[in-house]
Amino acid sequence: MPSKSKKTPIIEAPVVPPAMDAAVAAREAAAHDRELTNHHFKEGEHPIVRIEHLNKTFTDTPVLRDVNLDVWNGEIVVVLGPSGSGKSTMLRCINLLETPTAGHILIDDEEITGSKKTDVVKLRRNLGMVFQQFNLFPHLTALENVMIGQTKVLKKGKEEARAEALKQLDRVGLADRADFKPPQLSGGQQQRVAIARAVAMHPQILLFDEPTSALDPELVRGVLNVMRDLALNSGMTMIVVTHEMGFARDVADRVVFMEDGVVVEQGRPGDVFDHPQHERTREFLGSIS
Amino acid sequence: MQELASRKPHPGGLVAGALALALALVLGGCGSATSSSSTGLDSSGITTAADAGEVVVKSATARPNEDGGSSVFGGQETRLTWEGTVNVDSGITEVTLALPDDATFDGSTTRVTVLDGLKRVNIDSTTSTSGNTITIKFAEAIPSGSLLRLEVTNMKFPTKGGSYSVTGTYVTGTGEKAELDASPKIKITELTTTQAIVNWLDGQAWVSAWNSVPFLNMFFKPQLLVTSFPSLFSGWILCLIIILVAFPFGILLGLVFAFMRISKHRWVRAIAAIYVNLLRGTPLFLQIYIAFFGLPMVGINMDNNILGIIVVAINSSAYQAEIYRAGIQSIPKGQYEAATSLGMTYRQTMTSIILPQTVRRVLPTVTSDFITSYKDTSLLSSVGVMELMMFSKNLTTVSGNITPYIAAAIYYLIITLPLIKVVGIIEKRLSADENGEGPRPKDDDMETEDEFEAPAADEKAKPSAFQALTAPFRAHTLSDGGVEDAI
Repeated sequence: MPSKSKKTPIIEAPVVPPAMDAAVAAREAAAHDRELTNHHFKEGEHPIVRIEHLNKTFTDTPVLRDVNLDVWNGEIVVVLGPSGSGKSTMLRCINLLETPTAGHILIDDEEITGSKKTDVVKLRRNLGMVFQQFNLFPHLTALENVMIGQTKVLKKGKEEARAEALKQLDRVGLADRADFKPPQLSGGQQQRVAIARAVAMHPQILLFDEPTSALDPELVRGVLNVMRDLALNSGMTMIVVTHEMGFARDVADRVVFMEDGVVVEQGRPGDVFDHPQHERTREFLGSIS
Repeated sequence: MQELASRKPHPGGLVAGALALALALVLGGCGSATSSSSTGLDSSGITTAADAGEVVVKSATARPNEDGGSSVFGGQETRLTWEGTVNVDSGITEVTLALPDDATFDGSTTRVTVLDGLKRVNIDSTTSTSGNTITIKFAEAIPSGSLLRLEVTNMKFPTKGGSYSVTGTYVTGTGEKAELDASPKIKITELTTTQAIVNWLDGQAWVSAWNSVPFLNMFFKPQLLVTSFPSLFSGWILCLIIILVAFPFGILLGLVFAFMRISKHRWVRAIAAIYVNLLRGTPLFLQIYIAFFGLPMVGINMDNNILGIIVVAINSSAYQAEIYRAGIQSIPKGQYEAATSLGMTYRQTMTSIILPQTVRRVLPTVTSDFITSYKDTSLLSSVGVMELMMFSKNLTTVSGNITPYIAAAIYYLIITLPLIKVVGIIEKRLSADENGEGPRPKDDDMETEDEFEAPAADEKAKPSAFQALTAPFRAHTLSDGGVEDAI
């Protein structure tokens, strides 16, 4: 291993601690810390994201029906549920890729529903988004994909943006792919670049819309490892829509189960997975395990 | 004087020759009589001394040797005709004509005509040539007062062209040598490569054989093909100027109308739709007629070429508007979402993300449109724009042969064939780009991510991962509804 690493020194820094035992230990410690502080979130501060009575209807088809959800700063929330349950739509409402039909969404105590165009643009700088289909810009290299938001939106200088982009690419283990264009990368690599692109903007909140659903099973692990690293070490608030139960169980501070446009159940991963309160949750967990 | 009068009824060559000799003797004997008799022949009215005199050079001309033209080409066989009046008492026995160095009399044949008044006098002569000089010796002296005409066939003027005088010398009956006056200048056109090739072709047996086939002669006459190219050249250049000026305007106008077509405001979309549909729904030919005949009637007059450029640009812009609109709309919705999620404004999204991708996608179609518009400039010939089609039409009318049209076709193809090839290359490259071909990390490099996934697994995943990526793209090419799939 060390001899190999010497050949390509740029990407030497592993995203995940080389020894898996150490990683697990660290994760557990972090989860424990968070569980302690979680309590504090709920009692004290305002939630960073507050969803109140959110409704969304696509041409007569109700997709979200009175969804209520609070997310606290630094919290990792994993949203589970069968397809068509409205998880993605809820996520997309948070950064207004979908306009809510009714209800309120507050980010940092600020109402965003019904806000002006310029405010929406401003709001989105605070919200990073990772898509199921990656949506990398195919005409730009991996590096340029990570730089373009910084230069165009944050108005950073080119060198500064490049340094940040390289740092983020290094973090997702793709510094040596900086000059490759998306079609030349595997799906897993593309998704990691997409994560780097979102993280490079240093948003307060990072939204993941089924980030591993379009990937082959063997590529999922690499992406999840990157997400784990972010969850443990970045301090960002993350709302993750996924079908990865293992990830939810290991990383989430809270699991939210949705079905038919309604939040059915939520709680600590251990509670929801091991002692689901609702019949639907039980059915869902039974069907996938 | 009596002798002069008595000579007239005798036309016979031998008789005339004898009489001419007699006249020469008479004239040599009495100079005063000569001057009076020579006035009828020589407008300059030179009076000559008893034993001297001069040869008055009247003219020197060359027969045009251009195919169907009036130019005299240098370096190509022609006939030099030189005329002078002999005003030398003792007559002349020898004439040497000279031209500049590059001319040649070698291989020529000379016909000598001596006229005494209207009577032809036969005098034997021997001709010798030496490069740019030719010497004619007469068996007997040409008597004073006669007109000497030398026709040198198959001689050549200098290749480089210019204006040349024929100079030379003559020898009098008494053996004196004198200079000839320089003749009026003969204008020689430089022999063009084209003409040289035509000359060469004229002499080729296979060309004659080729041209003996009516079809080949009518459509592919080699000589005409060769002369057509330079004749059509300026028309071709005008074609290129028209399209190269018109097309960029077409691009700009097309982009403007493309954005109008996808505007949020209904009336903006309506205006763009009317513009695009009217122009795409009517023939360019009709649009040209309306512009060229309609505008002058309302007092708008402008240069034909400029109006031609405007019409082509406007027509092309309608087609390009549709190309750009379709191109912009073919970019997956996910691209807009990714850009706006980064906090980009609509303008930033368009300029940095959508348009660069659109350009790549529409490049083949736009190039095809360029080819179409370039060919369509030919329609401007109907309203008198002097472009390629116009020139070839004129040339065909003059020559009664279709070959100039074939030459025009070749001029069009010089541009269109490579562009068609370019379109193919761009299309191939684009599809290669979208299919993820091109340099990929080798297995050697994959070690760097072994913390995440096995290299082999990564390699295996390529096809399906790519399918996932291009799913929205492919959906789009099938139906517009594909946009929604990405949601």
